[in-house]
Amino acid sequence: MKSRIILVLIFACLSIGMQAQKYITKTGTIEIFSETPMFTIEGINRKVASVINVETGDVVASTLVRSFKFKEALVEEHFNENYIESDKFPKSIFKGKIMNIDKIDFSKDGSYEITFEGKLTIHGTTNYIKEKGNLTIKEGVITVIVDFSVSLKAYKIKVEKSYEDAIKDDILLKIHFDYKPYNKKK
Amino acid sequence: MKNLYLIIALVFFSLQSYSQDDLMDILDDEVEEEIEYIIATFKSTRIINGHSIERMKKGQLDFRINHRFGQLNSGGYELWGLDNALINLSFEYGINDRIMIGFRRGTNNKVYDGSVKFSLLRQSKGKRVMPVSVSYFSDMSFKTQRGYLDLPNISDAGFDINQHRLAFTHQLLIARKFNDKLSLQLSPSFVHRNIVAPGENNDIYALGIGGRYKFIRRVAFTFEYFYTNNVTADNIYHYPLAIGFDIETGGHVFQLFVTNSRAMVEDGFLGETTGNWLDGGLYFGFNMSRVFALAGSE
Repeated sequence: MKSRIILVLIFACLSIGMQAQKYITKTGTIEIFSETPMFTIEGINRKVASVINVETGDVVASTLVRSFKFKEALVEEHFNENYIESDKFPKSIFKGKIMNIDKIDFSKDGSYEITFEGKLTIHGTTNYIKEKGNLTIKEGVITVIVDFSVSLKAYKIKVEKSYEDAIKDDILLKIHFDYKPYNKKK
Repeated sequence: MKNLYLIIALVFFSLQSYSQDDLMDILDDEVEEEIEYIIATFKSTRIINGHSIERMKKGQLDFRINHRFGQLNSGGYELWGLDNALINLSFEYGINDRIMIGFRRGTNNKVYDGSVKFSLLRQSKGKRVMPVSVSYFSDMSFKTQRGYLDLPNISDAGFDINQHRLAFTHQLLIARKFNDKLSLQLSPSFVHRNIVAPGENNDIYALGIGGRYKFIRRVAFTFEYFYTNNVTADNIYHYPLAIGFDIETGGHVFQLFVTNSRAMVEDGFLGETTGNWLDGGLYFGFNMSRVFALAGSE
């Protein structure tokens, strides 16, 4: 019995000791989109950073919410000042895991449907999410594309009564990350 | 024995979530700190009468309709001044995020003016800390009113005479957003008028102080005062003072206020403010701004 435990511990140590293969992007994009008959809101953030550990499936992403750009400067100002409150809550963060990572063969090109889950923090509020997306491997680049919606209420982002017709509660996020192999900075 | 397995399982579990924090550390290492420019020091390109440090961003066009009504104490017959409005129409456009040009026509003295405002410093934090925003504003106005200061009509005179109708304003605008509610601005100003009424100075020096306090979402209290060397005991002029509110909706900013200045052009309110706050010499004012995005900002 003891030897089994020791064996397990050794494996555990080994797996920690091994340099797990990681992929990184600093220029991932998130588009946000809301359309009502009254008003269309479209914004894009091209400065999303994310790291993925292809052995464990762990994935994290982080961005400054002020990096979202809108065509109308006034919409951008309202987004930052009145809704997302980027001064108070500068970052949005995701910490989670790709659940079916062991089904993916990273050694050759291919395309997979993925399921991921984890904690998404927006506007200082954290919610557990579970969503589906697509992962493609091509010439050493991992591309992850995910579309899902978030509810403003769930993240305590207040929309005034008079604007409820103009701004949807469900905001569509379109996420596109191109990961490249990560080499630790010297 | 079972407990041991449980402990091992827990260790693994904690290592797993720990490894996500490891990944987060990688991101924090890899992503360089950015310069975070402070946005929305003021809601509008004007504090009230005077310009704020704000400009239109690249490709954004601000169409403004500014009103100054008649004197508040003019009585019910004049509907307390509402019968008697002066209007300024203006277009202001952001060439890029730092330079804005403007063109305006005002009722008072039938004035046309062109202006340019550019950003010299932007308040920022993060990678580079800058405590204030500084913009430079310059305006040239041309008063086309017939009989203005007994000048001949424009069509009857050449440039050598008509140039007397020109006036110039230069302002250095220095502002700081202290927090999401309070912003203050100092505005050292210089005005040169090519022609003035007898006994007046062609050159005016002024120091403005203004600010806003945003006490609830979308509504701010605003004030603005200019000290000038143009006010003496034996002339009719007063220091310009205005107090009001900024109200923002989706695409508009409304500014509602009372002021003792009727002129809206800079050389006008800095040099020719005649209302006396202590004597009911006040005008209700109303600026409406609508911003159109002609091209995307980046």
